[in-house]
Amino acid sequence: MSDLVIHLRVNGEPRRWTVAPGDLLLDVLRREGYWGVKRGCETGECGACAVLLDGEPVNSCLMFAAQAEGRGLTTIEGIAERDRLDPIQEAFLEHGGVQCGYCTPAMVLCAKALLERSAHPTEAEVREALGGVFCRCTGYKKPVEAVLAAASTGRGGRAPVRAAAARPSRAAARARKEAGR
Amino acid sequence: MFDQLRAFHRPSSVAAALRLFASERRAGGRGRFVAGGTDLVVQGDRSLRFLVDLTRLPLRYVKKRGRGWAIGATSTLSDLEHAPALAGLAGGILAEAAGTAGSRQIRTMGTAGGNLANASPASDLAPPLLVLDARLVLAGRGGRRTVPLERFFRGVNRTVLDGGLLVEIVIPPPPAPRGGRGGAAWSFQKLGRLASDIAVVNAAAGVAVDAGGRCTWARIALGAVAPTPMRARRAEAALVGKPFTRAAADAAAAQAAGETRPVTDVRGTAAYRREMSRVLVARALGECLEQLGRPW
Repeated sequence: MSDLVIHLRVNGEPRRWTVAPGDLLLDVLRREGYWGVKRGCETGECGACAVLLDGEPVNSCLMFAAQAEGRGLTTIEGIAERDRLDPIQEAFLEHGGVQCGYCTPAMVLCAKALLERSAHPTEAEVREALGGVFCRCTGYKKPVEAVLAAASTGRGGRAPVRAAAARPSRAAARARKEAGR
Repeated sequence: MFDQLRAFHRPSSVAAALRLFASERRAGGRGRFVAGGTDLVVQGDRSLRFLVDLTRLPLRYVKKRGRGWAIGATSTLSDLEHAPALAGLAGGILAEAAGTAGSRQIRTMGTAGGNLANASPASDLAPPLLVLDARLVLAGRGGRRTVPLERFFRGVNRTVLDGGLLVEIVIPPPPAPRGGRGGAAWSFQKLGRLASDIAVVNAAAGVAVDAGGRCTWARIALGAVAPTPMRARRAEAALVGKPFTRAAADAAAAQAAGETRPVTDVRGTAAYRREMSRVLVARALGECLEQLGRPW
């Protein structure tokens, strides 16, 4: 067994980790104290372990830590600015989007990735973006409302990473198609 | 879960990846190539002793090449879903299929090459790629070769790769309307409990017609209804040379269902899968009829 040394950024901070070849990113993040990353199904279905990898959501239970070399990770710990919550977090509070809270970090991060890409998503796009995070308390209505509210006040994201126009919405097309059946 | 792994290699070229894989295998270990990991980690194979990571190889691209298309094997499903180069290909069915493969997180991680090389009968990319007559470029210690996608699959989770590497998906130019009066139409269909689920059945179709509405070319492909993704060749043959009508489409759909060899599992019974094969092919051909938009 030969351990690997990896260099990456977590929430903007440079990190140097020594990991075993078989270590999964979820395990290393929790070992390093990022407890906002939740262990759920460990088979990539529930999404509770989602983090952002260079701004895009991934399930950390399915990724080998060694693959994070040179990449930038964002966890829920990294999105508030000091005492100021991220606007999406504020909206989850205002709209009652939180129950037990286990899926909330992943939902907020997935919403954040969406709003950075597309500042004014449709409800179908929000549902699609949150669709990979399972809530077992009650459902998705209030989280979806919260994300739409954060988007409508223009507080959801910062400058878009990519122009929204360059990414035609497959989600919306699919939703139309499903509705037509 | 992978405590038994003793090496995780991170090569930056195809040649280095093949070399590492071969030398590890000679040393007696069992290993795999890994890219997105979305299938490999879930399979949780405890006999693996080494992994060769592909995410640093220069294989992440989706582009036009000549009149066709080339897709690097480590392009993610999300890359395919959003690639401007694919929006105009075959009515966008390949991008659409990529967009149904799992959740947003899965599509950010999972790759086009992995979706094929894992050889799941339910691969969402396989039916549209079969309809598009895609070929795969495989790299091995002896050099590169190209195989038609249909001949790549050998069985459930089995391919012709043997320590080799899938490096590129090549899509030739699809049939274009001839003489400006005919047309070509395309459709992708998927049945799951939710859109992002593993398919119970998936299907794709492509049809070209001449100015008189006669079918000149047809492709029908299905997934999750046989040990490998499959083409319904007899159904295709039944369409070609005849007027493309609702009745012809329904007959071809019934024919295609008869060509399937489904199994019963947790997602559905064999009988249900066969019946849904008929329904999805009928829908796919129905969409093609609608797109062609003319009552013949």
